[in-house]
Amino acid sequence: MTPPAGFTNEPTLELRRAAAREALREALAELDRRLPLSVPVIVGGDRGADSGIESTDPGRPDRLVASAGRAGEPEAAAAVEAATRGARDWGARAASERAAILERAAAILRERRHALAALEVRECAKPWAEADADVCEAIDYLRYYGRRAIELERGAPVEQVPGERNAMRYVPRGVCAVIAPWNFPLAIPAGMASGALAAGNAVVLKPAEQSPACALALAEALHEAGVPPDALALLPGYGDAGAALVRDPRVHVIAFTGSSAVGLEIVRASAETPEAQHHVKRVVAEMGGKNCVIVDADADLDEAVPAIVHSAFGYAGQKCSAAARVICHEALADALLERLVGAAAVLRVGQAERFGTDVPPLIERDAQERVERYAAAAREAGELAFAGGEVPGEGWFCPPRIAIRQPPDAPVLREEVFGPLLTVEAAPTIEEACERVEALPFALTGGLFSRSPATVERVAARLPVGNLYVNRGITGAKVGRQPFGGNKRSGVGSKAGGPDYLLQFVEPRVVCENTMRHGLVVE
Amino acid sequence: MSRSGAEGGPAGAARAERPAPGAYEDEVARIGRELAAAMPSAARHPLRALDARAMRATAQDRELRAALFRLVDVTPACRSLEDLARHLNEYLAAVDEAPPSLATAMRMAHTKAGRRALGAAASVAIRHMAHRFIIAESPREALGTLAGLWRRGMASSLDLLGEATVTEAEADRYAERCAGALEDLAQAAERWPSRPRLEADSAGPLPRVNLSIKVSALTPRIHPEAPELGREDAARRVRPLLRRARELGAHAHFDSESLDTLETTLELAKELLAEDEFRAGPSAGMVLQAYLRDSPAMLEELLGWARAHEREVPLTVRLVKGAYWDHEVAEARQEGWPAPVFERKADCDRNFEALTRRLLDERPLVRPAIASHNLRSIAHAIAYDRALGGDGRDLELQVLRGLGDELAEALAARGHRVRAYCPVGDLVAGMAYLVRRLLENTSNESFLGEQQRGVPLEELLAAP
Repeated sequence: MTPPAGFTNEPTLELRRAAAREALREALAELDRRLPLSVPVIVGGDRGADSGIESTDPGRPDRLVASAGRAGEPEAAAAVEAATRGARDWGARAASERAAILERAAAILRERRHALAALEVRECAKPWAEADADVCEAIDYLRYYGRRAIELERGAPVEQVPGERNAMRYVPRGVCAVIAPWNFPLAIPAGMASGALAAGNAVVLKPAEQSPACALALAEALHEAGVPPDALALLPGYGDAGAALVRDPRVHVIAFTGSSAVGLEIVRASAETPEAQHHVKRVVAEMGGKNCVIVDADADLDEAVPAIVHSAFGYAGQKCSAAARVICHEALADALLERLVGAAAVLRVGQAERFGTDVPPLIERDAQERVERYAAAAREAGELAFAGGEVPGEGWFCPPRIAIRQPPDAPVLREEVFGPLLTVEAAPTIEEACERVEALPFALTGGLFSRSPATVERVAARLPVGNLYVNRGITGAKVGRQPFGGNKRSGVGSKAGGPDYLLQFVEPRVVCENTMRHGLVVE
Repeated sequence: MSRSGAEGGPAGAARAERPAPGAYEDEVARIGRELAAAMPSAARHPLRALDARAMRATAQDRELRAALFRLVDVTPACRSLEDLARHLNEYLAAVDEAPPSLATAMRMAHTKAGRRALGAAASVAIRHMAHRFIIAESPREALGTLAGLWRRGMASSLDLLGEATVTEAEADRYAERCAGALEDLAQAAERWPSRPRLEADSAGPLPRVNLSIKVSALTPRIHPEAPELGREDAARRVRPLLRRARELGAHAHFDSESLDTLETTLELAKELLAEDEFRAGPSAGMVLQAYLRDSPAMLEELLGWARAHEREVPLTVRLVKGAYWDHEVAEARQEGWPAPVFERKADCDRNFEALTRRLLDERPLVRPAIASHNLRSIAHAIAYDRALGGDGRDLELQVLRGLGDELAEALAARGHRVRAYCPVGDLVAGMAYLVRRLLENTSNESFLGEQQRGVPLEELLAAP
């Protein structure tokens, strides 16, 4: 089998061209004719129940996007049993064969990219550009991890001396439970699942209850491409299905992306090691953030303002990488705030399906209520320098807001809001700004605007964040270019889309063979 | 649909007599040599010569060039001379083999007094450089320079530099500056002496006042994937400007910027100029960027539009190479898109000439304005005009202030209609413009870069 060629990112659609936009509009109209979709529980290739969960359009909650099955403990147990079988065959295949299948799945997603982007618009209210970027990222993961798996199969180089042959190789762990969020409804499940699959594990995918139809599209592409039925199960469901997977002693790896509360609970629960469980579970958890952007006195506001606004309010701030807190050198703070407020005021709040929408509705009513609570508390504790404007009456909308003058212990400065609420504060020096970032429990993404190479160097060396972006927005990491993941309480595990990600899904084995026979080195 | 269609009419006649490509090659070379000979030599401008030497040194060293750009870029944000010196020193630290003069500069940065002196020197140098490309801080302060150009036989187009527009208030302020510039210029231009070549062509009178309008500065709502948003928002600020321009008899030119704003700009211009109230004026124009692979199709669309909307004053089409090449290529590479621009200079130059011919063929439907510092491109336009039987009256040539000054002088001296594009604004507002100009001036690929490197004239004038 010929090895796959070098990796390049899937090109996004060039939406500045009218023809590209027209193709997407048509795909959405076509999708609307097929709604509601049906998302069954899929275990061992058998399609089970497809009712129990209703996935609705966040912009028009009375529109049913999909009716999905609701997996519980029995389905989770059956899926793990099938996966235990599936892992043996799948893990025995050559990495190049698994990579070829993932490459085929990527090709299927590419072929359906317009329909998939449309589905994200409907099911998760992702604006077009971001929906399309998410489809591309999913494609990237499938292709990137396939290539990495081939490299990993070659093993790691170890020292050799005469008379012994040493080898270090990696083998699959077994069954991987993937518990995925809704905010990158294709890319994140695709990333975690394809990482596990590429490394030779079987996967039980439990998608977020808000995005089952996107997860089905991924599972179908993988199955059609040749991932055996037993090697991939789909368990639409709520938290109880995920919890059952985490508890199951036959599960080896849990790959999770979502809130810190759930992530830490998974870390705790998976540490239980009953006697019958002959392995220690590995947890890969990508959790929340409180991402800060530091703006130095020599920053170019022409660049900083649009970049911050996009990072904070794009997709209504519902990204773990989103900017939540701006800490600006006091010399520039007034000018920055004035321009940020002005720029936030021209953001377009509206339905995701309209091109040019910056701030779509939030995913669900709970999210809307949570953001409103934080906004009310911020108004109470300090001031809202910008409090949005009119929002559409239908849908879970929240206007963009900018809070200032918050006391240092204000929750809005420390907790993840996951919505369109940005705080802005001044700091006397960049050192002081760094101290405030260091004091946070999270360390996911961070930003710095400075035109001083020495400052860039100093801040980069000091900040604990997993991904630091200098003089640009802080969202939109690309597979293979900006491996993504946080430190401190933002995550355990290595970087998604990075060269060492697959190491979490394998166990290393070393073989040392004596090649001396009767005093002769026989090699 | 069209008056100047296939049969009859001056355009039809010209088309029938269209010379074969290559038939006027000798003429291109002859005109090019004459223009080169007519250019004032750098020796007569000691400061120019100094600038040229500095530019040459910079162009030869990538790292030095990067350090210079970064310094120019950060200058307006520096709060003191010491701060400026600190930045300069950090940028120079990235230059591997610093020339002796830079090593001295870096040693100066070790003491506070030294930093201040170094900052002062850098600040003076940058302001001097900026002044070469940016004629004044405000339209009123530019009037003297514009009058001087006019007296020496050169028209102008005023361009108001500005910081990026990200808020409504910034868009409103920019619109006010445009309106103010129209008033100031119109008042001053009344007193300018008569210059027949600059004031009329076969199609009628040409306005003395010419203002370039940047749509991206007139709305904070530009979305490349939703051009109608920026267009609608900018329209309410551009309409009053067009009305005032009509009343004052001024020309309004819609500038083009990067591809992300292009559809917004072109569609806005077409929408407004087609409105009834603007049918009789003002004189207006759009820009065609020859580095765009799609530019031939864009021109055909523009010509179709001009045919379909019979405005009383022909549309001016300014043909330029395009100033966002690096941006377009880098953005395309980052996104995985095919580059929207020609990546080889010769392809771009050939396209420029093809578009020149197409524009000249389509007179009087449009008024072509060929904007270039490439001697070959300019000579080609003049030669083709002559081959069509023209005498230069219906051909406008344009240059950028600071980059094409010698060429403009030579063209004016030989009786061509030449217009200098004159940016106005403070250093903060002008920095992005200045960096683009420096990039162009120090690029080995550019005509000016080749000229400065001493590439022989015959080579410079050869067909691309």
